[in-house]
Amino acid sequence: MGQHKSVNRIVSARAGWAAATALAALMAWGTGAASAAEAVLTMHIEEQTSWVQNFNPFDLAGRRQSTMDFIYEPLVIFNAQDGGKPVWRLATGYKFSDDLKSITYELRPGVKWSDGQPLTSADVKYTIDLMLKNAALDIVGVGQTVASVDAPSPTEVKINLKAINSDFPESIGDLPVVPEHIWKDVADPVAFKNDKPIGSGPMTELRRFTPQVYEQCRNPNYWDAASLHVDCLRLPQISGNDQMLATLPEGKMDWIGSFIPEIDKTFVALDADHNGYWQPPAETVAFQMNFKSTNPGNLEAYKDLNFRHAFSLAMDRTAMVDIAGFGYPVVNLHASGLPPRFESWRNKDAEGAKDEFMGFDTAKANKILDDAGYKKGADGFRTTPSGKPIAFPVIVPNGWTDWIDAVQIAVEGLRAAGINASVATPEYEQWQKQILDGSFEVVMNSRADGATPFRGYYQSLSTNYGGRITSAPSRYSDPKLDALFDQYSKVTSDDDHKKIFNEIQVMIADGFPVVPVFNGPTWYQYSSKRFAGWVTDKDPVMNPEDHDNNRMRLMHLLRLKPVQ
Amino acid sequence: MHISRRRLGVYAVALAFAIVMNFVLPRLMPGSPVDAMIAQLGPRATPAAIEAIKARFGAVDQPLLSQFVDYLKGLATLDLGVSVKYYPQTVTQVLGRSEIWTSFLVVTAIIFSLCVGVVLGAVAAWRRGGRFDTIVSPLAVIMIAIPPVIIALTTLFVFAVSLQWFPVGYAYDPNLDPAFNFTFIGSVFAHAILPVLTLSPYLIGEFQTTMRSSMISVLGEDYVTMGRAKGLSHRAVMFSYGARNAMLPVLTNLALMLGAVFGGSIVTEIVFNYPGLGLTLYTASITRDYPVIQGQLLLMTLATLGANLLVDIIYGLVDPRLREASE
Repeated sequence: MGQHKSVNRIVSARAGWAAATALAALMAWGTGAASAAEAVLTMHIEEQTSWVQNFNPFDLAGRRQSTMDFIYEPLVIFNAQDGGKPVWRLATGYKFSDDLKSITYELRPGVKWSDGQPLTSADVKYTIDLMLKNAALDIVGVGQTVASVDAPSPTEVKINLKAINSDFPESIGDLPVVPEHIWKDVADPVAFKNDKPIGSGPMTELRRFTPQVYEQCRNPNYWDAASLHVDCLRLPQISGNDQMLATLPEGKMDWIGSFIPEIDKTFVALDADHNGYWQPPAETVAFQMNFKSTNPGNLEAYKDLNFRHAFSLAMDRTAMVDIAGFGYPVVNLHASGLPPRFESWRNKDAEGAKDEFMGFDTAKANKILDDAGYKKGADGFRTTPSGKPIAFPVIVPNGWTDWIDAVQIAVEGLRAAGINASVATPEYEQWQKQILDGSFEVVMNSRADGATPFRGYYQSLSTNYGGRITSAPSRYSDPKLDALFDQYSKVTSDDDHKKIFNEIQVMIADGFPVVPVFNGPTWYQYSSKRFAGWVTDKDPVMNPEDHDNNRMRLMHLLRLKPVQ
Repeated sequence: MHISRRRLGVYAVALAFAIVMNFVLPRLMPGSPVDAMIAQLGPRATPAAIEAIKARFGAVDQPLLSQFVDYLKGLATLDLGVSVKYYPQTVTQVLGRSEIWTSFLVVTAIIFSLCVGVVLGAVAAWRRGGRFDTIVSPLAVIMIAIPPVIIALTTLFVFAVSLQWFPVGYAYDPNLDPAFNFTFIGSVFAHAILPVLTLSPYLIGEFQTTMRSSMISVLGEDYVTMGRAKGLSHRAVMFSYGARNAMLPVLTNLALMLGAVFGGSIVTEIVFNYPGLGLTLYTASITRDYPVIQGQLLLMTLATLGANLLVDIIYGLVDPRLREASE
């Protein structure tokens, strides 16, 4: 390459180096200049080794993760950071019928698809009917909740429910409404790649798509165009965290959702005036014991509240956060395990005195176990009051280094209290399988939260969900708690919901089915070099993540304005 | 053809073995494509989502025997199947777009290393025991011993991240469209430099060591002494009499090393986010994308067997004695 000296004139700074160097610099220069005229936002949502042009919103695993919100606008978004209040998008409101057996959504008039066709109730009806007909498309579970759909007028959709369920609007929060005039001609909507999507969101036009980068630009018919100040989203392919770390010094990323170790050094310090992050605590991570364990000694221990209290006292939560989690998570010191993001739901009566077993106190843990009749044997490990041995592995997915370290810390604490615990690190798939088939003993796991705390609790601790999803490993079953969950889904007012959820918190703090330890962080980093309006800890109005599980990312995008 | 029938038989058996192993090995890994897909959803894996994915990809979890029959049928019709991860793209499409880049990397690295390694080895043998030899030959052993991952991470960190002389990833600047012009081709080369430099040390070391030892034995031959006695220049004796004849073991080595180069390219491509077969295989393994893993392993097997076959043929061309022996 030595003979191609001609390019050197373009980059005088490093002219001394061979042409290859000059080329590299030339490319960097070319990229930087591209965004002068239009506001192009470079973001990172997902890690892939190659982009595949798949914008089928029903293909959860295969769709590009900029499909929802940016191409398919939600009906309504519930803002967890704002007490679960609705942000109306394609819909302007909904109303349950008096008998709560149906719900009618009022659609926003005048909304158009990106090809200029009107978006009406027929499209919503078509979408739900499509999912009802084809289980492989049913990504929000309408098959279990919806009996039928009517479209009484172009702006009204009436959904008849199979059972009374006030949680329904949230359950279809991830529903993508697709245009009937396009999809009715699609022969196989399951295999459909939807590579030229027609959507309702702000960024529907694919300007460029290569395996290494794609660009999604402004919808010419966007109904909320007045709020949209970003012209294009640019998504470079990045294969993993290491690649992201290597890319950061180039300073080209605007909106990032990555795990960045030592973030102050590796990211903020690169451009202290512009680079920032806010990683607010998210889902609660807790140790969960298998209440259907086939090991009689372990089972006897798990079922004993004293044992669970001692378990909790053996947890060095601060070490887990600081040593295992790079200081990113936040300790959870409440027996109810309520995530901090649901502050407005907090019931003070479920805390205070009820949190007395949430500290790190090995002496107290030992005392509780001694008093409860867990005698130490010759090997230094305790047996149950009835004399059966206790020994269990805590499973954690192989490769999840921060979690493995946290479990290691927990196991050390348990052994100091005379409990024979160990760490096992199966492959993720095996880990998941053991949770679902109930062959595990103890697991550290998080649960997925909705916009209100109800869903997380309901799905992880109700008899109905026990063992059916990975967030419900414990198979906990308490008829009184089930009754409260049931009651919750049969009322619709916020006040009633709060009242019932207050009781749920007390019941969980008392029953202490799982051992909460910390709340994992959300992943959000930004650069204010090219765009302003980022959500920060000083203005914590929404979950700031750009990941596909956060619908509020749409509202985040609409806040951003290019820096002049 | 200068290859015996027995030799061809060996190739056929190796191929059949590889075809069976390609099927068996990926399935020995715990987990299935559906599990992997649900796992990838992370917090988005609601019960409804899990059900939808199972309904979508349920067909993947078929009994092993019928999978094997389908696999053989596919091979017979040169249809490698459909990728699970990149559904609905076919394996041929997925491998096709990565294959070019890996071939480019590997071939460039081999040519570069061959030139450097052979010359270094020849010179070292010519002046064996001299200062050049005592420095360069131990260095070759060190280069063979350093795993590619260390070289890859070091070069990435020093030259791409810290000094920013080279790009940190991709096969070419993603802003460019493939075209036959200076900017694009230059971009391809700039992006290939670090990966090629990562792959090369091992190859250079191997070529150099083989070349040196084979050269030393050649230099003891009578015709070399005779060349010197005729008063030919050092250079002429070294290259025309010595190096040319000493090259044969290097060529054998080249074919044997192809597998190792592919192995090295997996690590290199992952570190440099280079869109080749290695990165594809890595992703396919993580997502249990059996069809892609099978196709990929088959391709690598064919490449290695093909290279060995090619060397057998070249051997005959380069060494007249072998040609006559087989005739």
